[in-house]
Amino acid sequence: MSDNDEKWGIAHVHASFNNTIITITDLTGAETIAKSSGGTVVKQNRDESSPYAAMQMAETVADEVKAAGIDGLHVRVRGPGGNLQQNPGPGAQATIRALARAGIEIGRIEDVTPIPHDGTRAPKGSGF
Amino acid sequence: MRVAVTGTPGTGKTTATELVETDLEVVHLNDVIREEELDEGTDEERNSLFADFDAIRDWLAEREAESENGLLIDSHLAHHFDADRVVVLRCHPEQLEKRLVERGETEAKAEENAESEALDVILSEAVAEHGTESAYEIDTTDRTPENVSTDIEAVIRGERAPSAGTVDYLDYL
Ligand SMILES: Nc1ncnc2c1ncn2[C@@H]1O[C@H](COP(=O)(O)OP(=O)(O)O)[C@@H](O)[C@H]1O
Ligand SMILES: [Mg+2]
Repeated sequence: MSDNDEKWGIAHVHASFNNTIITITDLTGAETIAKSSGGTVVKQNRDESSPYAAMQMAETVADEVKAAGIDGLHVRVRGPGGNLQQNPGPGAQATIRALARAGIEIGRIEDVTPIPHDGTRAPKGSGF
Repeated sequence: MRVAVTGTPGTGKTTATELVETDLEVVHLNDVIREEELDEGTDEERNSLFADFDAIRDWLAEREAESENGLLIDSHLAHHFDADRVVVLRCHPEQLEKRLVERGETEAKAEENAESEALDVILSEAVAEHGTESAYEIDTTDRTPENVSTDIEAVIRGERAPSAGTVDYLDYL
């Protein structure tokens, strides 16, 4: 996927009920290259405004990513607002589209949403 | 009537529902799943049973038919089933993690649940399945179980307005 002369990073997208945070790190996750957490949306319009907020954040972040000489990003989405299959949620899909549109190559997209558990848990594939 | 009390493990569902004064029959669903074997195997990594939703649905219907006034269901899975009202207990993730560790849970379990709480996983599922008009979010951070149970009683009596998205715990991450 990545050529030897291409520099890759990871976009960590945290997407909650009404907020989205994007953090860009190097491949080890140790060094933070860019961070944007302005994705809080007005509750009354969350359906409309939140993908828009996430998109704007992604555009800002994309500039910093390019300035850091990064060509491509793997994406790790955490949170129900970021579900990739069923529910576009507030932020994740819009974020990924905006990064791609800004000319950043998108690599692996992983959903690493945590699972509430207490001796029991929902079956795989339920909920989100 | 059926009222679900859901929320991330550690938000205080079991403690609060034991204090609630109500005509509804209180069902601690996690115990039922274990005792009645309403599961479909084990998630070894999390030491947790995969709940069998179909079997639980049937069990709840039967239990409700036998009850005089309906059910009050305590479980972080309660919102996956039919309900007239869904109470979603919330707790700041730092406090939630502390509560779970003090309850004797492993650090890994406390952490994954705290992260779930920070990301509103259960609130989002509850709203997706029942809509904002049936969700009643109650923040338990820095509040006593008695206080929380009083709020749940108000939901049961129909004296509380629905709410969702009233907290933001993303600062925990
Ligand atoms: N309002 C509260 N304030 C402080 N600690 C609480 C509160 N409610 C419950 N706890 C404690 O937190 C832990 C988790 O509560 P529990 O009722 O078992 O939560 P749940 O059933 O939601 O997993 C228990 O050790 C309990 O004593
Ligand atoms: Mg419990």
